[in-house]
Amino acid sequence: MPDLAVNFAGLRLQTPLVMLSGCVGFGEEYPRLEGFDYRDIGAVILKGTTLEPRLGNAPHRLYETPSGMLNAIGLQNPGARHVVDHILPRLPHEQTQFWANANGTSPEEYAEVARIFDDSPVTAIEINISCPNVKEGGVHFGNDPVMAAKVVEAMRPATRKPLITKLSPNNADIVSTARRCFEAGSDGFSVINTLVGMAVDLERRQPVLANISGGLSGPAIKPVALWKLFQLRQLCQQHDIPVLGQGGICNAHDALEFALVGATALGIGTGLFYDPLMSGSIVQGLKDYLQQHGIAAYEELVGSLQA
Amino acid sequence: MIYEVRALIVAHIEHPGAQHVMRLHAPEIAHQAQPGQFIHIQVAAPGRLRRPVSLMLADPETGHIDILFKVVGEGTRLLAQKQQGEHLQLCGPIGTPFDLETLVKGRVACVGGGVGIPPMIFAADRLKAMGGDVLLFAGSEQPFPFALQPSTFMLPGISPQVHMTIRSLEERDIPCRLSSNNPELPGCYHGYVPTMLEDWLQAVPAPQRQNISLIACGPHPMLQAVAACGERHGLNTWVSLEEYMACGIGGCAGCVVKTNEHDGEHYRRVCVDGPVFDARSVCW
Repeated sequence: MPDLAVNFAGLRLQTPLVMLSGCVGFGEEYPRLEGFDYRDIGAVILKGTTLEPRLGNAPHRLYETPSGMLNAIGLQNPGARHVVDHILPRLPHEQTQFWANANGTSPEEYAEVARIFDDSPVTAIEINISCPNVKEGGVHFGNDPVMAAKVVEAMRPATRKPLITKLSPNNADIVSTARRCFEAGSDGFSVINTLVGMAVDLERRQPVLANISGGLSGPAIKPVALWKLFQLRQLCQQHDIPVLGQGGICNAHDALEFALVGATALGIGTGLFYDPLMSGSIVQGLKDYLQQHGIAAYEELVGSLQA
Repeated sequence: MIYEVRALIVAHIEHPGAQHVMRLHAPEIAHQAQPGQFIHIQVAAPGRLRRPVSLMLADPETGHIDILFKVVGEGTRLLAQKQQGEHLQLCGPIGTPFDLETLVKGRVACVGGGVGIPPMIFAADRLKAMGGDVLLFAGSEQPFPFALQPSTFMLPGISPQVHMTIRSLEERDIPCRLSSNNPELPGCYHGYVPTMLEDWLQAVPAPQRQNISLIACGPHPMLQAVAACGERHGLNTWVSLEEYMACGIGGCAGCVVKTNEHDGEHYRRVCVDGPVFDARSVCW
């Protein structure tokens, strides 16, 4: 049986599949579905968390688009302290690992969130400098290589856990941002967050989303995600930086494309909305492919694209 | 527990006004489903969001669940193309249902509008089976997608000319009246369903009225009017809400409604915190 376990920034993930932040709440929802098994999952990234509770944006918060969807949730969350004290103790840490997703409006807030999660059972912290749906912070940091690095720099001394920087595709030069973040202490990257977009309601003559713009996700963005991942290949191979590839993965074929381009881990998000049990079939599809091609371990496949 | 199943379409009948009634074989869901809950249906191959559709009936003995939907957009158009004998991939039952155990202690007026009528039929049926005192008011601008007949029950405040009811409810001894602004529907109350509800409530003697709870499902303005009606008369009122939905399992927090609770304002998820909410908590 091919080995699916991967090493990601010093962590051992039992499979490369990672359930993405914002799609799986605080880890308590999907186990309510019969047949769902966290043992198919390498890690679950909890919903974006800020220092203080946030109400989030007004509805409509989402809208379906061709081969994808727009969302503008606005980081609704109960605050880092509440997550650590009341939610993390309820999660099945023996079945998979849980990562935090840290957000803030200043480098200091990001650092404080990291400090709170440092003393908790999460095994890594994803830095969300690419959320397009908040008025301060988020993508405004992600689009500016200097600010992005400042956020990582501020968080680095606040935690010993791996820091994974989630990069924005809305950034003209993703490689520069990634390099600055690596130099500032980032242990890995998530590639990519959503693309900014909007939709129009013809009857109301208004934007569909109350936030006006939202983040586009789903199969529509897969080619963009693969290209951004490809652009980062050289930097990541040179410094042995692991990447969590994501953007429209809906089946094993999609997942394998990301693996070949260089994704050590494979994020699933919007695809879960189409098929909430997709993780089981992707795991099986990865095993089948490896077996058919005589490859003993998934890690041998990562980055093996001939280009 | 939520079940992901491949359900056989046992029957599919199209009614005027692009309304469709489907009977599906989904024993796990039929066994567990409660009024107010919904199923989340894959309307096309992955690449399209699922569509939430509330349940009109769940029969644990036959394993059947019934749904009613109207074609309003691309998702429901695709769903309407599915034929008897085909299968639908779906999951359910999802959501916080109506609290029938509490409701059955008093009298319950169910108020449904359009494709919001099905959960009211489901609730009325279950409340009746529990020995409850229940009646139903249903409004639609389309021809009702049910067999209709004149009712033998009299209701105070409702004119004898307004006598049409849904046959399946009459057979279960559940009083019901229909409303519509469509002049081609005879025997119906001419106007909106909350107005008919108000006429009836005003004709019920005050001491008996205090014992009534309202439950409702339908378009937002209808629910707002029913909530206002409940507020005026000091009645417990529960509404089933809808909002654009993505995951249908509580993971994405996309389908929220604003509520005002004892500890302040919140955005609650329609899919799992609802779809049933205390009307007094909803920020209309």
